[in-house]
Amino acid sequence: MTSQTTRFLCYLVTLVPLLLCTRAEAAGGKYRRTVADYSMPDVLLVNQDGQKVRFKSFIEQSDQPVLLDFIYGTCTTICPILSAGFASLQRKLGPEASKVRLVSITIDPEHDNPRVMKDYLKRFRAKPGWDFMTGSRADIDRVMRAFDAYIPNKMSHYQIMLIRSPRDGRWTRVMELVSSADIMAEYRQAGAK
Amino acid sequence: MNGAAGRLRATGRNALLPLLCLFTLLFWVAAPRAAEEPPGVAGLTRAEALRLGEQLYRKGLLPSGQPAQAIVQGDTEVEADMFSCESCHMRSGLGSYEGGVLTTPTNGAVLFKAQFNYRQPSPDQLKTIPAYMLPLYQAPPRRPAYTDTTLSVALRDGMDPNGRVLDEVMPRYLLAERDMAILVYYLKSLSPEYSPGVDQNTIRLATVVTDRVPAKEREAMLKPLEKYVRGRNSRAKTVESRAGYGFYAEWMDLIYRRLSLSVWELKGPPETWRSQLEEYYRKEPVFALIGGISHGEWRPVHEFGEEHRIPCLLPATDLPVISQSDWYTLYFSKGHYQEGEAAARFLAAGEQPDRDGELLQIFRDSAEGRASAAGFRESWQKLGRKAPAERMLSAGEAVTVELLEQATLEKRPAVLLLWTGPEALPLLEKVAALSGRPETIFLSASLLQDKIGALPEQLREKSYITYPYALPAGKGGAHRGNGAPLGRERRIAARMNSLGLLLTDSLMMMRGEFYRERFFEVIDMLQDRGHPYSAEFERYSFGPGQRYASKGCYVVQLSPGPGSELLQKSEWVIH
Repeated sequence: MTSQTTRFLCYLVTLVPLLLCTRAEAAGGKYRRTVADYSMPDVLLVNQDGQKVRFKSFIEQSDQPVLLDFIYGTCTTICPILSAGFASLQRKLGPEASKVRLVSITIDPEHDNPRVMKDYLKRFRAKPGWDFMTGSRADIDRVMRAFDAYIPNKMSHYQIMLIRSPRDGRWTRVMELVSSADIMAEYRQAGAK
Repeated sequence: MNGAAGRLRATGRNALLPLLCLFTLLFWVAAPRAAEEPPGVAGLTRAEALRLGEQLYRKGLLPSGQPAQAIVQGDTEVEADMFSCESCHMRSGLGSYEGGVLTTPTNGAVLFKAQFNYRQPSPDQLKTIPAYMLPLYQAPPRRPAYTDTTLSVALRDGMDPNGRVLDEVMPRYLLAERDMAILVYYLKSLSPEYSPGVDQNTIRLATVVTDRVPAKEREAMLKPLEKYVRGRNSRAKTVESRAGYGFYAEWMDLIYRRLSLSVWELKGPPETWRSQLEEYYRKEPVFALIGGISHGEWRPVHEFGEEHRIPCLLPATDLPVISQSDWYTLYFSKGHYQEGEAAARFLAAGEQPDRDGELLQIFRDSAEGRASAAGFRESWQKLGRKAPAERMLSAGEAVTVELLEQATLEKRPAVLLLWTGPEALPLLEKVAALSGRPETIFLSASLLQDKIGALPEQLREKSYITYPYALPAGKGGAHRGNGAPLGRERRIAARMNSLGLLLTDSLMMMRGEFYRERFFEVIDMLQDRGHPYSAEFERYSFGPGQRYASKGCYVVQLSPGPGSELLQKSEWVIH
């Protein structure tokens, strides 16, 4: 083995882990991030246009990355930040925004009807591809439980964003408020073939 | 010459005198005005600066009408009308705690005062504090008072006067100097002192009763409230005696106040209520109105509360004002309107063919009838449907077979919504037999009351009843054996008991922050409540700005047979 080859291998051994670390940092190293499989409940929800949505097939048949969060229309603090992140992603993606599916599930199904949800999306300049869904309290509970994100009282909810990769149907779970660069990185990673 | 000079002097004196008088008058008029009207900011009057500041704080809109720009989470650009200062810091400015995020107060009384970890003792109190605890009380402030400059830095750069970086959820606002000055000016005026109606010992409350309310209903409303106030005040001596020292003095009992409850009796027609309310309020500026009962609509009291920014907690009315933006009255529900709304949503969600143009509403020209019909009509139209045909019965007009026949033959409705009392039930059978129409009938449980079981057997299959109460099969609820709702007096009493529970929670959560807006903000933060808290309803749910606690209404049918049971046909909340 020549000295040049040895030096190249040394560089390779040093740099590859470094490169891998950088990637982890960009796509999750700065916040808690786990990957899990979830089984979608077969429930009928209603979106902001009053259309019924069969949730299981809506999610599972998507060939696009899905970003999903739990919010409610009159939330004062963390939901607007989560929604600002979604709005920012759509804005930054521009024409590519149609390649990601954004789903917000209400945790206040008594109050959040299609009119409330439509107004909310309008306030956040939502583009097509971002659905806000409500349903019966029992069905919303089933969805929360399916994602291991059951929130019995909306006033003590917590931030959670889930990203589904269309490649394998697995979900990345982010339990913090993150920057729009982080959301973009998660979207890219989920969508990368 | 002398003469001319003398005339000139005389003319000068003559001219000077009125000028002096005018100047004195101007000074006399202007001086008190200047004292009454503090200066504004940025070349604006005080009133205009406060209006624009409030617009920026509450709606996120700049004086130009455009949304302010900001950055959150380090790099996320937001427009401030997506979520404004008020979203997190609340209308009162006293902040919130939600989802693990603590939002600190931004009202004038807190921002511009140094904040200590321990209450600052008086020189006399200082002498009684043990030496080993003195460092705690003499420690420098946790945060020095903000100045206009340091507040601008916090709003723009997210750094407090200690140099501490604020959490990234706090937006960094891109504000021009003038806009910043207006916002800072507004914050200085935000909740600067306790609201009227509270002193060192007492929170003053009032309840409104109008003169045409039946005596039994008046009693059903007043007795539980008076009992509640007596019960709470009976603890006063114990609480006040322990409030002098230790933990209780520091945290707990400083917040305790006795309650006083005045009864504001309104007489005469509703259009005179407003001036009577103003007079009561002038004599006794109460902190809030609780409960209350009126004949007819609640609107005059609602508008009084809205204009003076006085909270009105849970009046016993089924005729509330329906509004998406009004803030100062929290109702039990939307009442009769909610039943119309539920019928519309139930029909729209069904699998029936499109019924456009084939619906007929018959309702009485009463507050209840109009509210039910409006609830259906407005909800139906919001769902993208055409307005239904309508027939309004005048106040004294009897419901007859001929009237129903004529209306149904003329319109041939597939769906008939009959927002009347039980007097129409025996006639419906004949009408339905006449032509096979209507195919579906909607009725209201709150209008039928204890006659709900009088629905003819043959009509039960095609009849749906809006039922805004908890179902008898549920864990609780308040109803008679056959599913008919409780009588009005008992429902009123149940609601007032429920109000007492809510008041206990909200006064405790309000702590020492005796601001009217805070009173409702803490209620907004309560978790949802079911039985027995929610009295006759299935559930109360709360949330910022949500002003109808019970949001649902079942649609039911009656089972056949004499011992009729309610058959649930919808969820509590229909989407």
